[in-house]
Amino acid sequence: MAANFWTSSHFKQLMDQEEVDVVHSPDKEKGITLEDFKIIKMHMANYIWKLAQQVKVRQRVVATAVTYMRRVYTRKSMTEYDPRLVAPTCLYLASKAEESTVQARLLVFYIKKINTDEKYRYEIKDLLEMEMKVLEALDYYLVVYHPYRALSQLLQDAGMTDMTHLSWGLVNDTYKMDLILIYPPYMIALACIYIASVLKEKDTTAWFEELRVDMNVVKNISMEILDFYDNYKTINEERTNAALNKLALKPSLVKLE
Amino acid sequence: MSAGSGNSSMSSRGSIGSSTHNNATATANSSSGSNSNSNKPAWLQQYDLIGKIGEGTYGLVFLARTKSNPNRGKCIAIKKFKQSKDGDGVSPTAIREIMLLREINHENVVKLVNVHINHADMSLYLAFDYAEHDLYEIIRHHREKVNHSINQYTIKSLLWQLLNGLNYLHSNWIIHRDLKPSNILVMGEGEEQGVVKIADFGLARIYQAPLKPLSENGVVVTIWYRAPELLLGAKHYTSAVDMWAVGCIFAELLTLKPLFQGAEVKATPNPFQLDQLDKIFKVLGHPTQEKWPTLVNLPHWQSDQQHIQGRKYSDNPGLYSVVHLSQKSPPYDLLSKMLEYDPRKRITAAQALEHEYFRIDPLPGRNALVPGQPGEKVVNYPARPVDTSTDFEGTATVQPSQPVSSGNAVSGSVAAAPVVAARSVPRPMPMVGMQQRVQPPPGMTAFNLASQAGMGGGMNPGSSIPMRAAAAQAHQQQQLRRKDAGMGMPGYPPPQKRRY
Repeated sequence: MAANFWTSSHFKQLMDQEEVDVVHSPDKEKGITLEDFKIIKMHMANYIWKLAQQVKVRQRVVATAVTYMRRVYTRKSMTEYDPRLVAPTCLYLASKAEESTVQARLLVFYIKKINTDEKYRYEIKDLLEMEMKVLEALDYYLVVYHPYRALSQLLQDAGMTDMTHLSWGLVNDTYKMDLILIYPPYMIALACIYIASVLKEKDTTAWFEELRVDMNVVKNISMEILDFYDNYKTINEERTNAALNKLALKPSLVKLE
Repeated sequence: MSAGSGNSSMSSRGSIGSSTHNNATATANSSSGSNSNSNKPAWLQQYDLIGKIGEGTYGLVFLARTKSNPNRGKCIAIKKFKQSKDGDGVSPTAIREIMLLREINHENVVKLVNVHINHADMSLYLAFDYAEHDLYEIIRHHREKVNHSINQYTIKSLLWQLLNGLNYLHSNWIIHRDLKPSNILVMGEGEEQGVVKIADFGLARIYQAPLKPLSENGVVVTIWYRAPELLLGAKHYTSAVDMWAVGCIFAELLTLKPLFQGAEVKATPNPFQLDQLDKIFKVLGHPTQEKWPTLVNLPHWQSDQQHIQGRKYSDNPGLYSVVHLSQKSPPYDLLSKMLEYDPRKRITAAQALEHEYFRIDPLPGRNALVPGQPGEKVVNYPARPVDTSTDFEGTATVQPSQPVSSGNAVSGSVAAAPVVAARSVPRPMPMVGMQQRVQPPPGMTAFNLASQAGMGGGMNPGSSIPMRAAAAQAHQQQQLRRKDAGMGMPGYPPPQKRRY
C-alpha cells in the first residue's frame, strides 16, 4: 500500500472540487456559506498545526490530521461535529496512525493552555468519544499519502535541492486548502515545484516535459495555490470568528435564501 | 448523533447498514437481560454468538455466525477491543490493525469484513472471516495426538501460501513483525478449505519512512521466532525479520518442535535475550563478521562481548541434523537461506517462492489439508475450542463448574440446531480459566444454553478431549496460551509489553 498509491484507499477516495465544496444542510441552515466553510477548515488546519507544535509531533502527523479533518467534513456537518473538537481529535488519531502517539491528557493540557475561549476547551472524555466518531466518519480508512516524499525525490531528480525549503513550505500551505482530497499527492508536489521554480526564475520546462505529466493539471493546481495566497491576505481572526459564531446560532434565527 | 446513541459499521463491504439508535441499552444487556436478542446492538443482532475463542491483553475474541443472506451461516471471528485503561482511547494496536487491513486484500491474508463501534461503552469490534485452524494447533495435534509428521505436500503448501501472503505484504511495505505458528491461520471446511491466512496485524507496520526508529515501539516478535539482528539490538530492521520467523516455522512444521526454544528474560523493557541467542548459536554456530559484516555495529554484540562472543559453539550438530534433512536437499537449502544470519543476505519472500523446493514433487496446492498422495490418510484436525459460556460483554453466564460435555450431550434445543449443523463438532473447552462467576441473568441463560446445545452433541473423533481429569499442567498451559491469543489463536509465550 505504501508502495502503491494507485491501489490505495486514498486514491479511491479522491473527490472532485464540487463534491468537496458541499456545505451540509444543518450548516447551511445556520447561514454558513461556502466561504465560511473554507475559512473554518483553514482555521482548524492552523489550529492543528499550533497544537502539534506544542505536543511536538512532526509535519507528517499534522498533514495526516488535517486530511482526516477535511475528510470528516465531506461527510459530516460542523453543526453535529464541532470543528473545535474535531480538529484536536484528528491530531490525536493521526498521532496514533503515524506511530507518534500523543497522550490525550497532554493534548488536553495544551488545548487549555493555548485557548482562553471556553468553546475550545474540551475534556479528555470529549476527545475520546469524538475519536470513535471520527474513525467512523473516516469509514476506518486511515492511510494517507502526502506530497513530501514525492517532493524530495522529484527535487533530487531535477537537481534542484536548493529549492527544498521554499517548495516544502508551499506544500505545508496546501493543507490550508482541500487539495489533498482532490489531487494525487505527487501532483501537488509538482505544482509546488512549479511555483517555486517560477519564483526563483528557474527554467524547468525541459524537466517537466520529460516527466510526461499533464501540465494542465500541474498549472491548475498552481493557480489554485496562488489564488489562495491572494485571498488569504484578507482573512483575519474577526472573519473566522464570525463564521464560527454562525454555528452557534439556532437554525430558525437565520433567514434562508 | 450524540455520543452514546449510535452503532456503526464499516460501509463499503458487506451489506450491513450503518447507524441505528437502539443501543443505549446495549451495555445493560448482560445485566438486565430480559431478552438477550432484542436488547443487543443492531449490528450484533446480525450475528448468532457461538462463544469465546480467545483472549488477549486488548480484549476478547468471539466466534459468531452471520444470520442473514447473502452470507447466512458463515462463521466470523469478532475481536473486541476494550477501551484502554490508561485513558488513551482506541488502542494503537487496534488502529494499526484497522489501518493496514483496510488497505490490503490478498487470498493469504486474513480478511477484515467489518468494523463496529459501540459508542455506549466505547468498545470497538473487528469482524474477520473465521479460520478453523492455525499452525500452532496443527503442529500440536501432530505432536501430541497423531504421532507422525505432517505430510510433505501439506508442509510445502502451507509454506508456499505463507510466503505468498508475506510477499504481498512486503511488496506493499508492510512488515508483520509477529509471525508465529498461532498467527498463521488455515481455513476449515468450505470453499477455502486448507487456505493459509496470515493474521494478527496488531504489531504490523508500514516501514517506508518511519517517523521513529522501529525499535522505539518496544520489543516485538515472540522470542522463539525473533531474528538475530533484533536479539542483538538492531535499531532499523527490515522485512528480513519476518523471513527468519518463516524459517523457524518451516523447521517447526518439519520436526513438530520449536527450533530455537529460548527462555525469555522479561525484566527490562528491552531485554537482551542471551538464552535465545545461545539456542540459535548452538544450532547454527557463531555468526562471524566475515559472514555478517554489519554484526559489529549491533549494540548488544559490542556491549556483551564476554557473554556471547566468549562462548564457543564449535561442536554444533548442524541445522540439517536438527531438522533431519540431507544437506543437499532442496528443503534444506531453502531453510538454510531463511536462517541466514545477515539480514541483507537472507532470502526474500519473492525469492523463496521461486526456490527449487516448490518446483519439485509434490507441488504445493491451494488446499493444504488434503493428503499429498492418493491413499494417504486424511488428518482430521480438531476444531478450535469454543467457550460457549461467555457473552459479548465477556461475562460468564454459566456456572464454571458445569461439566461441559454432559451438558452438551443432553441439551436438545431445536432452535439452535440448524445454526450449527455445518460446523464440525468442536472440543469443549476446559472451564478452569474462567475468572468471572456471574450468576446468569434469566434471558442470557436461555440464549447461551441454546447456542451451547447446538455446539455439543458429540465429541471430536480426531482428538482426545482435555477434560477435568486431565493433568493440571495441561490446564496451565492452556491458560498460558490463551492469554496470548490473537484472533483467538493461542500462541506460545505471551508477547512483550510494548511501550507507546
